[in-house]
Amino acid sequence: MSFASRSPIVAEDRLLHILTRLVELDPDGGSEHLCQLSAEVAGVTGAGIMLMSDDPFPRGALCSTDSVSALIEELQFTLGQGPCIDAFRDDQVVSEPDLAGPTSVRWPALCPPLLAAGARALFGFPLRVGGIRMGALNLYQDRPGDLSAAQHADALSLAYVSARVVLSQSGDMDLLQAGPGADFHLVVHQAAGMVSVQLGVSLAEALVRLRARAFAEDANVDAIADLVVGRSLRFT
Amino acid sequence: MTNQELLVRTLVELADSLVDDFDVDELLHLLVGRSVEILDVTAAGLMLASPAGELRVVASSTEAMRVLELFEIQSEDGPCMDCFRSGHAVVSADLSGGDTRWPRFSPRAMAAGFRSADAVPLRLRGTVIGALNLFRNEVGGLAAADLSAAQALADIATIAILQNRVAREAKLLNEQLDHALNSRILIEQAKGILAERGQLDMAQAFSKLRSYARGHNLTLLVVAADVVDGTITEL
Repeated sequence: MSFASRSPIVAEDRLLHILTRLVELDPDGGSEHLCQLSAEVAGVTGAGIMLMSDDPFPRGALCSTDSVSALIEELQFTLGQGPCIDAFRDDQVVSEPDLAGPTSVRWPALCPPLLAAGARALFGFPLRVGGIRMGALNLYQDRPGDLSAAQHADALSLAYVSARVVLSQSGDMDLLQAGPGADFHLVVHQAAGMVSVQLGVSLAEALVRLRARAFAEDANVDAIADLVVGRSLRFT
Repeated sequence: MTNQELLVRTLVELADSLVDDFDVDELLHLLVGRSVEILDVTAAGLMLASPAGELRVVASSTEAMRVLELFEIQSEDGPCMDCFRSGHAVVSADLSGGDTRWPRFSPRAMAAGFRSADAVPLRLRGTVIGALNLFRNEVGGLAAADLSAAQALADIATIAILQNRVAREAKLLNEQLDHALNSRILIEQAKGILAERGQLDMAQAFSKLRSYARGHNLTLLVVAADVVDGTITEL
């Protein structure tokens, strides 16, 4: 991972371009358009930003540009594996240039649904400011291939800028929820509350049970949670 | 080791520590200590400005109170204050030589045994955050080469301090972010628990939470946390 063949002047130019576009999209300094900005500047099919903590499962999506990006986040939230999770946990850029390729055994449960949805290459960039990490930016392409050095450098800048913007919004959950594709899986936590009473177990256990049911039925955990909250599914 | 070699080694060490997690106080302490050796002065002190513009010592090569006080009184006048205000290096080769710049500072510095005093600014792209103060017990200010070395050390100190501030602020904001997300999760879980117990829908469960919170003068979050951990079983 290097900034090879980019002079400092070109790099500053790109950062300025990113910041200018950001202000055009969000004059009030909000976070709603960070994903759109990322997809546009990096020149990829779609982008999503996930927020994460020390919990093995992500907290949720801050934004996503399309249904495929939303699916990338939903699958990682359900299954607890994927490019954003790896990028965050290992604090490294994660690169999967061909989900259909022979070397792609990293996220076995993720590949089939993602390929079916039209994602072919996947990249995860940690969201951080210095040593403080808060999630990851995921970029996808609808055709195989690596990011170019210029795209890679842009993605690093986008991840950094996004991290700063997210932090500046930090006190306000409603602001965080405002963007297109924002999803913090509130229904899953509601369902966990219900299941914890139904089974007489802890909330952590209730979440495990919800995810296990999702896996068994080849569904996303949000879909299972919807059934629980809608009272068409009870755990006994 | 020559002064030049020590300077290079010091700069490399300081730059290295900037890349990793570093203790800013330790770094500044190292810096003032090395400054004394490299620049061949008697004492060195790092002063930073408060938001109100008052200069305070944050690191000193000596604990001698008389010296610390000398650093401090420069809030009124002295090479350090001039340096901070102008953003340029300030040199005084001979404090006794009829220099009328610092009527409070000069006599006191001389009484403490110092004969010359210099200051280089801590600045980054036009912002001056403080100064590196250097005292000698002999007449004669810093030579041009030494002034460059002093500025290089001051520049590294500035980067370290500003980086540390950014890191501290980021940590605080990240904790707020965590808190905001955790709080929301807790509230949704509490709604689920109440909905199941009372066979309510989520809106009704939320109303219950809110009324209880209002009625007992508690925050929504505290009530939600109590419902989740079982402290409150009846609402």
